[in-house]
Amino acid sequence: MSAIRLERLVKRFGAFTALEAMDLAIADGEFMALLGPSGCGKSTTMNMIAGMEDPSEGRILFGDRDMRGVPMGRRGVGFVFQNYAIFTHMTVRRNLDYGLRMTGRPAAEVGRRTEAMAELLGLTALLDRPAEGLSVNILQRLAIGRSAVMEPVIFLLDEPLSNVDAAFRAVMRTELKALQRQFRQTTVYVTHDQLEAMTMADRIAVMDHGVLQQVGTPLDVYNAPANTFVARFIGSPGMNLCAGRLTDTDRGLAVDLGTLGLSPPLAPALAAAGRRGPRDVTYGFRPEEVHLGPGGLRLPLILAERIGARTILHLGRGETTLRAVFQGNPDLPAGEIGLVPDPASVRLFDAATGAAIAGA
Amino acid sequence: MAEIAFRNVTRRFGAVTAVDDASFTVADNEFFCLFGPPLSGKSTILRLILGLDQPDAGEILIGGRAVNRVGPAARNIAMVFQNLALFPHMTAEGNIRFPLAERRLPEATIRARVAEAAAKLQIGHVLHKHPAQLSGGERQRVAIARALVRDAVAFLMDDPISALDARLREEARVELKRMQREAGRTLIYVTHDQEEAMSVADRLAILDQGRIVQIGTPTELYDRPATPFVARLLGSPAINLVPPGLIAGTPARGALIGIRPEDLRVTAGSGATVTEVEPLGGYTVLTIASGDQSLRAMLRGQPAFAPGEAVAISADPARVHAFAPDGGRLAG
Repeated sequence: MSAIRLERLVKRFGAFTALEAMDLAIADGEFMALLGPSGCGKSTTMNMIAGMEDPSEGRILFGDRDMRGVPMGRRGVGFVFQNYAIFTHMTVRRNLDYGLRMTGRPAAEVGRRTEAMAELLGLTALLDRPAEGLSVNILQRLAIGRSAVMEPVIFLLDEPLSNVDAAFRAVMRTELKALQRQFRQTTVYVTHDQLEAMTMADRIAVMDHGVLQQVGTPLDVYNAPANTFVARFIGSPGMNLCAGRLTDTDRGLAVDLGTLGLSPPLAPALAAAGRRGPRDVTYGFRPEEVHLGPGGLRLPLILAERIGARTILHLGRGETTLRAVFQGNPDLPAGEIGLVPDPASVRLFDAATGAAIAGA
Repeated sequence: MAEIAFRNVTRRFGAVTAVDDASFTVADNEFFCLFGPPLSGKSTILRLILGLDQPDAGEILIGGRAVNRVGPAARNIAMVFQNLALFPHMTAEGNIRFPLAERRLPEATIRARVAEAAAKLQIGHVLHKHPAQLSGGERQRVAIARALVRDAVAFLMDDPISALDARLREEARVELKRMQREAGRTLIYVTHDQEEAMSVADRLAILDQGRIVQIGTPTELYDRPATPFVARLLGSPAINLVPPGLIAGTPARGALIGIRPEDLRVTAGSGATVTEVEPLGGYTVLTIASGDQSLRAMLRGQPAFAPGEAVAISADPARVHAFAPDGGRLAG
């Protein structure tokens, strides 16, 4: 078992800074997701934890031990990449027990652990099949099993599900989580998919452009995003954001959203926080937390996506596009749509910095 | 510009029937999606439409004309592949004009068509760049522009946005839908993602082992799946399929009862136990054990359930799907 600490970790490639002074404490047995778009520094961070790359500055500690100079093979980490590296000329069993055999463990133990892992991942029936010709889904599952069977104290996964198909991804999310529950390895999981992070992780570290934006539980980052980047990146679709200016009305403080109209009055706590901050703000609300009707924003409908249980309305005027999510199939009025955000779901951000204006 | 129809088309490869007696008609300007598990026949159907492969039986019609003996070039159908197949050594503009230059069209015509497609897809500002300098979304638009300039009668797309990040995919599918509406072309589309399929398609054909199991609008297929196979394929989390009588409010007839996770009611009570809580912000997914069955429920918002909690589950009878022992849908 092992906790991980990153202290003022920096990585530069020539003049380019891939990671800027990252501090992060991952508890023993915790499932931490590093979440962000391409180029945010999440894989660079992971590679340094694994020992594949050296930090330019800062320290990485496993427990109390500084990992500087400790080679990858001695760090006791299991690593699963986006592109599995399976030996296709070997059987599933030989791939799965490869690491265990290399460490010279007794044959009985190798067999027992291999078969238990195969059972957990639904590979039992395939054990004596050659890996060649198996589907991408199965090969990635095998890559995860091959690493997990070593029971590493730290398990690092770099976008392990991005090449498997959508239906299988849902199955694998459940399996990966079950695997982590069983072995309680400290797990660091790199992904660009907020759904994977939300469903599996104990906590999420949201990153952008080499800078850690926020660390928190899935509900922390959803309910109280630290800035507009996190607000937009978390959620499916992400939070709606519109430029506006705080304005006093006879019903209390509201936000003038220009051509979209005037927002409903802000909830008291948020209004109080708003009065202490700048007047130019970004007005944010969750697409799920709205209803149709008068007294809110008005804008034309671009497209309605009916996706099974829910309907996503895409609305827009000028540069602003907003989304609204409804259960089932809402009755839509003709012409412009009136959108009323639920006051409890509204968040304000400083228009200049993007930082959240705390109120709730 | 063209209707595309299959009349009892079969294609065999040795002992494998890749496409089995398939009949469907894609209307002019329709966004038609082929959806099914791997190896269900989707790609073979695309190859048959393109003319890269010939059916063993049946007839393929494009614009009302049988094309079984018409070569790929004369069919004038444009294809956008999964890997986009852009030439890395050419600029975006070079890629887009390539099919026109190949046909030795006058330079003025080429310029006009490239400019029109670039404007439609909003890529005018990246025309001078090479594919490696473009974002995933821009590369996709360049590939579509290249197909658009050909003035093809129909487009085929094989999983064109699967390589994008999750967030970009959500945006790309909306853009794709808008582009198809604005371009006004028949589009036949293959994807592995059920959410994407339901989002973009006017109608879907569900394939299973070469057979077309059901054709309809996304709403028809989601609300009235013809078989448990179709029911399970659409929706995430997947539909709960349980024996009759397990859940209050469900009919005690048929062989299999289907309840979508969003239609399962979870209340204080007993009879079932919450085993897993996944809070996703806007909604919460519960995994619930009832007898030897494991069920998923999708609830709005962030309700306070905890693992180990005893609950009662029920279903709205109007939202329940019942299937016969042979897999057919029972009325209701």
